[in-house]
Amino acid sequence: MAIEKLLKYEHDNKFSLTISKSESRLYMSFIGFAFIALFVGGLMGLLQVLVRSGYYTLPAGIDYYQVLTVHGVILGLVLTTYFIIGFQYALMGKTVGISETQFRVAWLGFWIMTLGTIMSAITILYGKASVLYTFYAPLQAHPAFYIGLALVIIGSWIACFVNWRQLYVWKKKHPGEKSPLLAFMVVINMIMWFIATLGVAASVLLQFIPWSLGYAATIDVLLSRTLFWYFGHPLVYFWLLPAYMAWYAIIPKIIGGKIFSDSLARLSFVLFLFFSIPVGLHHQLTEPGVQTTWKFVQIILTFMVIVPSLMTAFSMFATFEITGRRKGFGGLFGWFVHLPWKDVRFLAPFIGMLAFIPGGAGGLINASYQLNSVIHNTIWVTGHFHLTVATTVILTFFGITYWLVPHLTGRKLTPTINRLGIIQTIFWAVGMTIMSTAMHIQGLLGGPRRSAYSEYGGSEQVAEWGAYQVAQAVGGTILFIGIVLMVYIFIKLAFFSPKGNEEFPIAKEEMDAEPTPMWLERWKLWVTITIALILFAYTIPIIDIIQHAPPGSAPFAWPIGNN
Amino acid sequence: MKKKTLPKSSSQEPNLKGTIISVSIIGLIIVASWFGVFGLFLSR
Ligand code: HEM
Ligand SMILES: [Cu+2]
Repeated sequence: MAIEKLLKYEHDNKFSLTISKSESRLYMSFIGFAFIALFVGGLMGLLQVLVRSGYYTLPAGIDYYQVLTVHGVILGLVLTTYFIIGFQYALMGKTVGISETQFRVAWLGFWIMTLGTIMSAITILYGKASVLYTFYAPLQAHPAFYIGLALVIIGSWIACFVNWRQLYVWKKKHPGEKSPLLAFMVVINMIMWFIATLGVAASVLLQFIPWSLGYAATIDVLLSRTLFWYFGHPLVYFWLLPAYMAWYAIIPKIIGGKIFSDSLARLSFVLFLFFSIPVGLHHQLTEPGVQTTWKFVQIILTFMVIVPSLMTAFSMFATFEITGRRKGFGGLFGWFVHLPWKDVRFLAPFIGMLAFIPGGAGGLINASYQLNSVIHNTIWVTGHFHLTVATTVILTFFGITYWLVPHLTGRKLTPTINRLGIIQTIFWAVGMTIMSTAMHIQGLLGGPRRSAYSEYGGSEQVAEWGAYQVAQAVGGTILFIGIVLMVYIFIKLAFFSPKGNEEFPIAKEEMDAEPTPMWLERWKLWVTITIALILFAYTIPIIDIIQHAPPGSAPFAWPIGNN
Repeated sequence: MKKKTLPKSSSQEPNLKGTIISVSIIGLIIVASWFGVFGLFLSR
């Protein structure tokens, strides 16, 4: 009995396929692209905070909104998507493997995405698409911008299809076995991404491209914004779930522990799938033309996400506490001491977790109908998502980079780079605390987001903002130094670090863990519930929006957009 | 029978006092910040 159990344990936990050289090149291409994006986008961030401080003006007639479009698109959309797809491919390659055909199709996806990215990037750099990353109509960009975006989406769908196929083939070969936890999580994230991107794809293909080419004279602004946010909220969970993959299944290994609960991790991912999509209206609370009832319904669904979020928090603390107690650290918080603070693979994601406490609290404020009216379109919102995506998610991605890149390039994370990484993490934490706090406060004082420096004719209220804008410039400059450090670290790890074998840390379950119930693998049921929730939350509002559509809008290429 | 042959492990419930307290603190932070902004909303 015990032997059998032991054998089964060994069997269930040997997810360690080897990643070949050519596979590594694929994964590294995605990740390398993300780091180029980090540098370019970070530079724009620096320019923004300097302009907003009032002590600097952009040279050569460069427009603030051009800079801000580069920043939002390249960091919010390009960096994240490339890193996530590269990381997820690596997880799939390690746990379920990739076939020759899947590998070739994956490269095709990379090139389609990259062609699209380059098209959009050139359009923005020529000043023909200063429409910000949300590309709200009736601002109109050059058609190449929208066509590029469509290609990026299509390329990313290829990654969805490949990842699904990878798990499918594995399951055929391992009948009756539960799928590896990380592969399960990747497939959930890609189902969410696929369903969500159908919304923007529809809007870009059916509304924006014909309109920007001049085939359609006007555009339904309200519909386009609603389709954007149908995608825009799951987008943030598409960023967050890969970070959670690392928290649930990789961090425990790094701290010398085990997975707290395989079932809990899977269940939380299923709940994230359910409650990430039917909630986009919480970004449109001030939108005229959408019925209050449906805004309310979607807010309730939004608040459901507290459940898997607190499950995740609980799971993290429990992993830390159990591991610490096992190492002999007692007391109520003694286990805290044992954590490997000097290991950057742990420290960076841990700071990311801390940032999610104010980040999550701010999110619930944003999503509350009345409180939203206090912060809507203020720089508070920018402060909020620089905590969530630009700290929680990004620091976790940095934490992954420290082991994944050397693992893929056959090099070592040296003690020197580890130390530099810790300094990098501290720069990020300090810079972001200053910048984000100043943004939150300025937002509560009414300071708008998406705006360069202005004294608004010397109004009294505006005078209160100045100090906070200077603080943002200080914090933003520290952050930019953090970006330079990180890019240096990436180049070191990818090309110059000494040859060696860096571990791909994947945590195991406890020996005597409760077996994961098989109902968690009911994929068809999860997709059906997801679609049912979306139909419930969106059918009536969208019919209403189309039936009572406002008059369509002609394009505006000025004052910003395309001039 | 089963118990004797299995290696001694934490088959008793693990002590998760610290975890419960930590998660509760997070809950309190969320509620406190929510009411903070709610106060602002009422006062404006
Ligand atoms: C050096 C580091 C960074 C600095 C100094 C910085 C600064 C800023 C500032 C000042 C804004 C708001 C400008 C305005 O509303 O007028 C902004 C917007 C934004 N930032 Fe950053 N940021 C940095 C890093 C990042 C990172 C790493 C990400 C994402 C991973 C990111 C994503 C965004 C997004 C999506 C926007 C919104 C753009 C828009 O409103 O259209 N930022 N950033
Ligand atoms: Cu949202």
